[in-house]
Amino acid sequence: MHIDIVLTAWQMLIVKLLVILTLVPLVSLVGGYALHKELAHLQHRLGPMYPGGFHGVGQTLADGIKFILKEDIVPANADKTVFKLAPALIYVPAILLYLVIPIDKHLIVEDLDVGIFYILAIGAVAILGTLMAGWSSANKYALLGALRAAAQLIAYELPIVLTAAVVAMLAGTMSVVGIVEAQNWPFVLWPPGIGLVAFLVFVTGAMAEMTMPPFDMPVAESEIITGAFTEYTGMRFIFSFFGAEMAHLVAYGAIAATLFLGGYKPIVPWGPLEHIPGVIWFVVKVVLMFFVMIWARFTWPRLREDQLQKFAWKFLIPVSLLLILATAAWILYAPESLWTR
Amino acid sequence: MDSIDERPISESQASPSNGDVAAAGPDYASRHQLARERRHTFGIGLLKGMAVTIKHLFKHNTVIQYPDEVQDLSPRTRGVIALKEENCTVCMLCARECPDWCIYIDSHKETLPPKRAGGRQRKRNVLDRFAIDYALCMYCGICVEVCPYDALFWSREFEYAEFDIRELTHEKERLSDWMQTVLPPPALEEGALLPGQPDAPAVAAGAAGPGSAQRPSPPSAGTAAAERPEQAMRPPAAAATAAPTADAATQSQQQAGETQAAASSAAPATPTEEKAPAGATAETKGPDTKEPEAIASSTEAASPSPTDERARETSTAERSTSTEPATSGDSEAPAVPEVARGPNVEVPSEAPRPVALERTEDPEAVYQDVLKDQLDKGSSPQVAEARAKVARVKAERGIKRAPTPVETDKMVPSAPTKGQPPEPEPSGAPEAQDIEPDPGPVAPEGGDA
Repeated sequence: MHIDIVLTAWQMLIVKLLVILTLVPLVSLVGGYALHKELAHLQHRLGPMYPGGFHGVGQTLADGIKFILKEDIVPANADKTVFKLAPALIYVPAILLYLVIPIDKHLIVEDLDVGIFYILAIGAVAILGTLMAGWSSANKYALLGALRAAAQLIAYELPIVLTAAVVAMLAGTMSVVGIVEAQNWPFVLWPPGIGLVAFLVFVTGAMAEMTMPPFDMPVAESEIITGAFTEYTGMRFIFSFFGAEMAHLVAYGAIAATLFLGGYKPIVPWGPLEHIPGVIWFVVKVVLMFFVMIWARFTWPRLREDQLQKFAWKFLIPVSLLLILATAAWILYAPESLWTR
Repeated sequence: MDSIDERPISESQASPSNGDVAAAGPDYASRHQLARERRHTFGIGLLKGMAVTIKHLFKHNTVIQYPDEVQDLSPRTRGVIALKEENCTVCMLCARECPDWCIYIDSHKETLPPKRAGGRQRKRNVLDRFAIDYALCMYCGICVEVCPYDALFWSREFEYAEFDIRELTHEKERLSDWMQTVLPPPALEEGALLPGQPDAPAVAAGAAGPGSAQRPSPPSAGTAAAERPEQAMRPPAAAATAAPTADAATQSQQQAGETQAAASSAAPATPTEEKAPAGATAETKGPDTKEPEAIASSTEAASPSPTDERARETSTAERSTSTEPATSGDSEAPAVPEVARGPNVEVPSEAPRPVALERTEDPEAVYQDVLKDQLDKGSSPQVAEARAKVARVKAERGIKRAPTPVETDKMVPSAPTKGQPPEPEPSGAPEAQDIEPDPGPVAPEGGDA
């Protein structure tokens, strides 16, 4: 039986938003579980095994419920309104990031003409929430963490923007779907060298912007007690810290997959691979990105705060500036036969 | 992203271009070389680290999921300390050596009537209380090491968590229950001197019967020998106490004289001991030997107070001195029982199970049993139910039920024994109920108005 459902544009948008609003917390849960398990096995452990019956699949859900049921404490000296508002300002941009990620060519909430620009802008909003959280907590550790996070965002946003500019130059568009469509061969493979280095710089910057190890000085639970979130408890803590972290991790994995790995298109333009649905390609690439980022996260030693800043300003930013030059040279001087789109 | 490796160098290393060559010191060359090597392997370290962790991701995992799987603990695991009460002489060495002071011992002296007409009265210590506070114990094992009479042993049992910290103080009944879980000793090393080997008279006396009365029970003796090789090297305590110091006045003297006594008793025996078969020496330690019970029954009738262990020992010791010269010559005479062991005392080689299963109980019955027991004791319903559940789970998994905690009405740490009114302690921490919270500066009533 065939049912024709005709929705107006507004109704369609609402349905899409509802899907996203359920998808993102779900992604946080699944991502958190995957993180637990991968970390455990990298460290030769088993990780959660009991909640949910099978290999601890219910662990993150149980954690979430536990945190939600906990007391929500607001410090006496805190700036209470700002303190309560900050977690929302951290988590909502994480949700908004998903609006422009194309799961398949038409499976996207809104294909903005300025997709990359939107991603970069929304990605930077979360830091405002972190700053608010740190400042309003009236806690020196929280303030330190927030200031470090702000400094880190400024330092690492630049490589991200510059490498995204490389992608936009190569694709000739800022629309995310347009960028995927431009990648007959994914940018990480072609143009040779430029795409790979840009990809590495982008992923490094994304990891740093998520303040995950080895770039976790703003969080540094052993020194400044999870930084800006020192004073948070219960639901506000889980959403501003773990939830947002997971949502960001998957989102940046998806963005990197979209910008550099060809998104929903096959990894190489080869006949049989073209028959695999785009959704599968997308999911495989996101899972791969997620896996590699966590793998690196739990393998490498953490950078000191000054090393972290030097690494961005003295290495990543010059490299990405050079990349822009190289890309411009490629576009101007590479023979037309080398272009793949 | 690959330049992370270089960071420490660029910061700590003097770079030649900065003109630091002179200031760098004599090891400049090696440091420079190190820097060069690192530059050659630009970023390789990060990849090596990734390789290490990814290998572990695919390695077989060896985690043991404890409540579901029980680890095969080593036989010498320090789980809980068991007390062999009849071996304790209240010498207090364990309590004094204990770094945590978690052993509580109370005793009183008893006067025994003289053995012979015209003899003098004997005095001996009777153990009233022996308790170990496992909330304080740090499992160093010094008490087990220091005990001269093999009254303390390690057991592998470790599941005795309690809901009430006071019940972590195991009184002597519970400590004695742990004795059932003490494992026999492991095999001695190849060519090791057997416990008791150089002491033929003692063997003979032991075979004759009463001489081994003071000897610890079979597993205990072996355990002691295995855990303390230096003791295994010298004649067993039984021989020492059975020989000239049999009528020693106090236990400390006995202990002090042990070595000389052993030496003196062993000296005449050396020629025969070499000829004696190993089996004859080992048989007194066979785990199935029923000697102690037999002795007990035989001596109980003779001794004035049947339950009097000390008296039995002294009497048997005296008797053994008398029988010693007669039996020392024919040490080969005693029949080697079927449990006789070779030169190396063998030990069950199969992997030791956590607890010997004595009987399988119906989990539901155990649950009801424990629940009723706990409720009768006055535990709160929640606690009683929790304990009953634990017991049921243990019964389901075939883990032997730990002895029910001995109910104590004493405060912990507690000095006074049963029957004695608790005295106010002259110094140290007052008892908990004596502490009155400092009221602090209290405003007079209505003073703030």
